[in-house]
Amino acid sequence: MTEKTERIITCIVCPMGCEATVSMEGKKVVKVEGLTCSRGEEYVINEVEAPMRDFFSTVIIEGGVSPVCPVRSTRPIPKDRIMDCSRKLARLRVTAPVRIGETIMRDILGLGVDIIATRSVGVLGEKGRQ
Amino acid sequence: MNEMTEDVAVVGGGAAGLAAATRAKETGAERVLVLDRNSELGGILPQCVHTGFGLHHFKENLTGPEYITRFVDRARALGVESKLDTMVLRLRPGGEIVAANSPDGLFKIKAKSIVLAMGCRERTRGALGIPGERPAGVFTAGTAQRLMDIEGFMPGKRVVVLGSGDVGLIVARRFAVEGAKVEAVVEILPYPGGLARNIIQCLEDFDIPLLLSHTVTAVHGAERVSGVSVAGVDEKGNPIAGTERTIPCDTLVLSVGLIPENELSEEAGIVLDPLTGGPVVDQHMETSVPGIFACGNAVHVHDLVDHVTETGMTAGSSAAKFARGELETLRNRVRMRPGSGVRYVVPQIISGDRPVTVYLRVRNPVRNATIRAGDIAFPLRAARPAETVTLEFTERRIEKLIGKAELEVGMEEQKPVD
Repeated sequence: MTEKTERIITCIVCPMGCEATVSMEGKKVVKVEGLTCSRGEEYVINEVEAPMRDFFSTVIIEGGVSPVCPVRSTRPIPKDRIMDCSRKLARLRVTAPVRIGETIMRDILGLGVDIIATRSVGVLGEKGRQ
Repeated sequence: MNEMTEDVAVVGGGAAGLAAATRAKETGAERVLVLDRNSELGGILPQCVHTGFGLHHFKENLTGPEYITRFVDRARALGVESKLDTMVLRLRPGGEIVAANSPDGLFKIKAKSIVLAMGCRERTRGALGIPGERPAGVFTAGTAQRLMDIEGFMPGKRVVVLGSGDVGLIVARRFAVEGAKVEAVVEILPYPGGLARNIIQCLEDFDIPLLLSHTVTAVHGAERVSGVSVAGVDEKGNPIAGTERTIPCDTLVLSVGLIPENELSEEAGIVLDPLTGGPVVDQHMETSVPGIFACGNAVHVHDLVDHVTETGMTAGSSAAKFARGELETLRNRVRMRPGSGVRYVVPQIISGDRPVTVYLRVRNPVRNATIRAGDIAFPLRAARPAETVTLEFTERRIEKLIGKAELEVGMEEQKPVD
């Protein structure tokens, strides 16, 4: 027997913010109620079955004009892996210079997603910032 | 005193200023100079490391640093000049700017037109008057963000955030992702200030409690914050006796509102709108002083940088035209006034014969409402005070305005949402 559950999910596709009641059997959605348009359904189903999030943080830079560099994932990652990625990057040290768009970590935690720099950080002491 | 001559001088090198400067160059201004007190261009965006920028302007989901880098690079490629670490001290009608920095000392700029893009400032604890001790560990959201994401310091380990606007929510998430414990986000209103998306992705994802109809009533701690008192509030926002409790924490982050920065504008005699805190502008983003234009958060606090960019581009092209003596004055001036349920409308003056995009803010959350501007009706499915509503006055709609001197923009029917 699969367990039957219900979850309330606020749709974020548009400013209406409909509250959807999602009926599930195990991890599968069987019914979505309470939405006022069809666009929200895809979001709501993903949100209960496999929620994904953009990941972004900063990494420590050595020898740079700035002590940290902001980074992001090239694609969204599973929501429940955000803290794992954060811990992984916390141990990383990157030597300046860093160019915007440069890969900082390939295939982080085997998620199939790269971490890239979202700004450039020049070398400390070199003429001109970045 | 040294004197420089410019076609367009832009005060502020953030999203608005860079959009204005690049657009002024692109539309023919020869000499364009950006002045900024920070040591790099970009304004607040380099410290906004989250995604969600550029969905409208670039049709891409970018982080703040990525979004602004595109404008910084574009400005450099076009030959926009900049003076950084530079404080603008005075503005005079007629296009004179007095500024100061270390290498140049005090200097004067004669510009054919000026664009004001100073942005906004955060309200502080002083503005709220939160009682209690004065320990270290009380930060505005912007300062906390800067410490974490520009300077590489962790401002605290146990955090309470006051204010549930998007800025507060996003900072709460940054603390959580960096391993801090966010004890609560406290909101004085009965509904959250930020977008539903941010409530879910910044708070629920990290199990951060949201205390609605609550406020911080005291800060405790000798050297460093040791906790804050929070209490429930009544409909008027006054703390309810007996509901007070202490949350132990080492950091209080304030995200309690942004104020357009307009000391320079005021001193120059530019008329400000008390409803927005920014200059009254017309469709060209021209202020009450001819040749001085304004854009971005200096005009009113925007929720999307993409809109800031739009206003900057309008101000930039208008300033370039003015510098060449080609800016058409509005033949017709329709004064926009906020009506029922509307807090403010920008631009405050439109031509009434040219298409224009108008931004407004509602007073309370509404659903299935209609905004009426004279004879023009705009259906509105849903709106909240935190999100600006955009009204497109198209060619066809604008026809209905011909001959009007004033236009009230208000809510036709209002169904408040719980």
